[in-house]
This record gives sequence, C-alpha cells and structure tokens, in this order.
Amino acid sequence: MFATANTGTSTTTSYKVVLPFYAYAAVAFLVATIFLALSANNITKHYFQPHTLAITHIMALGWGTMIILGASHQLVPVLIENKLYSNTLAYVSFIFAAVGIPLLVYGFYVFNMGWPAQWGGILILSAIITYLINLAISMAKSKHENVHAVFVFTAALWLLITAAIGLILVCNFTLLFLNKSSLNYLPLHAHIGIVGWFLLLIMGIGSRLIPMFLISKYNNTKTLWWIYALINGGLLAFIFIFLYADNKMLLIVPLLAIAAAIMLFGNFCYKCYRQRIRKKVDEQMKMSLLSIVMMALPVIFLVAIICLIILSPGENISLEIAYGFIIFFGWITAIILGMTFKTLPFIIWNKVYHQLAGKGKMPNPKDLFSDAVFKWMGIAYVSGFVLFTTGILSGYTLMLQIAAVLLLITSLLYNWNVIKLLMHKPLVS
Amino acid sequence: MNIITNNNIKCTAAQSVLHDVIDPEIGLNIVDLGLIYQLDFDETDKKIFCTMTLTTQFCPMGESISTAVKETLKSSFSGYDPIIELIFQPPWNHAMISEKGKEFLNKR
Repeated sequence: MFATANTGTSTTTSYKVVLPFYAYAAVAFLVATIFLALSANNITKHYFQPHTLAITHIMALGWGTMIILGASHQLVPVLIENKLYSNTLAYVSFIFAAVGIPLLVYGFYVFNMGWPAQWGGILILSAIITYLINLAISMAKSKHENVHAVFVFTAALWLLITAAIGLILVCNFTLLFLNKSSLNYLPLHAHIGIVGWFLLLIMGIGSRLIPMFLISKYNNTKTLWWIYALINGGLLAFIFIFLYADNKMLLIVPLLAIAAAIMLFGNFCYKCYRQRIRKKVDEQMKMSLLSIVMMALPVIFLVAIICLIILSPGENISLEIAYGFIIFFGWITAIILGMTFKTLPFIIWNKVYHQLAGKGKMPNPKDLFSDAVFKWMGIAYVSGFVLFTTGILSGYTLMLQIAAVLLLITSLLYNWNVIKLLMHKPLVS
Repeated sequence: MNIITNNNIKCTAAQSVLHDVIDPEIGLNIVDLGLIYQLDFDETDKKIFCTMTLTTQFCPMGESISTAVKETLKSSFSGYDPIIELIFQPPWNHAMISEKGKEFLNKR
C-alpha cells in the first residue's frame, strides 16, 4: 500500500541562508519610506529624477527582490521536491546583492552614473547569475517538474534580462553607445522587471502558497499554464512592439494578454478561497489576498494612460508616477507584508524549536510576532497607500506628506515585528 | 482515515498521545490531520514502527513534526524505541482529515 521512496526531510534550506535576506529587505523598506517622506514634496515632478529613481530601486531591489530571493531559497525545495543545490551559492548571491544595491542606489541618489552605479549594477547582475545557477542545478537534480518551479525559473531569467538592460542603460549615460538616450529605454527595463520578474514569480509562488495556507481543495494546473503563456507571450509581444513597431497603439495587445492573465489568476485565487477547508482566514492571508485584488490597479491606470495618449498626445506625469507607485508600494508591498508573516515565523520557529519538538508545550509560529502590531501596520499601510495615490493624482502636497508618514509608520511597525521574530528566544513549558 | 496496526490496544494509546503533536501551521493534531498511516509494535525488540506523511513533501516543518512524534512516543511508551518512517506515497490529501478535524477547521 505504501511506497517508502525519498523519506528524507533534513533537506530544508538552512535558516542562516534565508534570514539575512529578510533582515536586509526590512531595512531597505524602512530606508525607502524615509526617502519617500523626505522627497514627498518633489515626487510629482517627473519619474526620471534622482530621488525617485533611488526610491524605486530600493523598493524593487532592496525590498521586493531581496525578500523574494530569500523566501524562494526556502520555498524552492517545496516546489521542486528536492533540496537546494548549494547554501554557499545562496550566501554569495546575498553578498553580491547586499553590496551592489546600495552602490547603485547611491549612484541614482547623487545622479552619478560613474563607478558606484556601474559596479553596483555588475554586482547585482552577479547575484542574479549566482541565484540562477543555484536554481538551475537544484531543478536539474529534481525528478519532479511542476508548473510553479517553471514560473520561478522563467521569472529569474527575466530578472537577469532586466538587470542586464539596467546595467546597459547605466553605462550608456557615460559611454553613449546606444542610438537613443537611456530614458527612452526605461519603459522596457521597468516592464520586463515588473511583469517578467515580479508578476510571474508572485503568481508562481502564490499559486502554490495560497491554496496551501487556505487548505483549499482547488487546483487547476491548466489555468496556471494559460497564465504562464499569457504573461510570457504578452511580455515578448511588448518587447517586439517597443523595439520595432512604429504604431504604439499595438501596445494594447500585450496589455490585454497580461490583463487576461491577472483575471485568470484572480479567478484561481477566488476559487481557492471558496473551496478552502480552513474557514477562518488570518490577517496575513487577508493582506495577501488584498494584494491580488490590487494587481488590477496598474492595468486600469495603464489603460487610462494609453487612452489619454490617444486623446491628447504627450506625457501625463501624475498618472505615470501614480502607475509606478501603485506597483511598488501597491500589490508588491501588500503581498510581501502579508507573506512575510506567513513564512518568517515558520523559519524562526524551526530555528528555535526544532530541537525542542515533543519536549513540552511550545508556542505556535503565529504567536512569535504581535498580531496587534500587524493589524496597525495593515491600517497604516492601506490608508497611506490610498492617500499617497490620491495625493499624486491631485498634486496636493500636504496629503502626500501625511501619506508618506503613514507609510513610514507601516515600515516601522513591519520592522518591529521582524525584529521581534529575529530576536525570539525559546519559551517551553 | 484508519491507521493500520498489529496491536489495536497500543495503537489506540499511541493515537491518544499523538493528539498532542500539533501541525504548527494548521493548528490541528497530526492524527486528525491524517498524517499517521501505520503504527506497528515489535514486542520482542521493543520497537514502535510509525509510518507517516506530511501535508507536503519537503515541508519546512517536516523534521520538527517527525521529531515531535518520536519524542512523544518515546516518553509515553517507556522502554520502546520509536522508528519514524516518512513516506509520500500515497500522498496526503484533504480526504484524509478526520470528521473531527474538519469540524475543527470549520471553526478556525
């Protein structure tokens, strides 16, 4: 009746590999919100200005990418049903990124595209290559291939392309080897990163974690493959149209493909929710599910931007800045705020209580952080996000300042709970 | 799900103590969750063979859960040496949750 193959479980990625990524991301989120509070008055001028570029890259790399890299080192073994190939490569990847990100951000902040930004870019690219090698060998050694792992690997490839384009754009500021200025290629760099890396990866991991945490009966691999095809097809179409087509109206094609993928993913998550066995949904899952709803916002904004371009050619700065803001401070941040407190408590619990298992009553992972602080963080975040978006669109400076303070409070409360988790000492009765 | 055993009395006692081993994420004990497949008792060599699974292979909590099962059986069956075997065929699924477990999850 039973098959006893592959019985080992001592294959979980070491917490020592994963925790530095989480700690780094928490600090980066704090730094980004401090910069945002300091730049709130000037944020609506143009997206291509030093402080905005610095904040965007802290959010994209220091916050979003670092925490995703950390979590994926922990989750890849679950996805591919095999252990991570090398903890050392994971450390190397962390060190490259940890040094490279501040260098790049400093370059943007002072708008010096010389050696700090260039070396920052090279180090970040090296971190991604190291991560990809680790991922590729881990997957090659696994006998089980599944749709979630394919999402993660493809997303990592898009991240590599994003970082490579980013480095080329940084070098083009001083070496001028491209036909056009770097500013012209910024939408290409940004959208490959947002769609290819963040959207694809969050959908790949989310489609595994959301049913797992809800204990849902629903599963539909066919839908996930459709989502995969729509996102990658849409992104490839976008790149082709961006580089070779004269008629920019064609951009509606990739937009529709990606909007369809988001709708399918939303429907997938809704069905998981409806068919869940565990009826009560905790605050962390509510925040993560909110982020899925928030994925629709950038699509709506993009449709509005395209419509305005058709009606009156020219840039609509406030709409474009709001579009960028709702991506990095919207669904990407919301899902990280939620999922951090679904994954980090388990990593800490395993670290602290693994040796004590079965030797007394011990707290549950959810007891290792403050639920009240999490709730206040959620309130500060949602109100800060809504106010800041409204502030960008209305150009009302006081509203932007208040919202920036609320987002700073969000990051402080987030850090409070992360520190509480990282400093947790065993409690056994 | 019925647990296969060669000793019904001791299996009932073992199940009772294993109700204290809780899946940390779900909050439900591993017996009602349906993670225990087989419990055999070797009276000659004083060994307990526990065949169990996890809700997902390579679950980060897997090692802690299997250690907790081993320690719980060791402390409840003095003189016995528990041997835990983790298997993933047949894979765990929702149908393996007991009615009591489903009731518990409905409330939480």
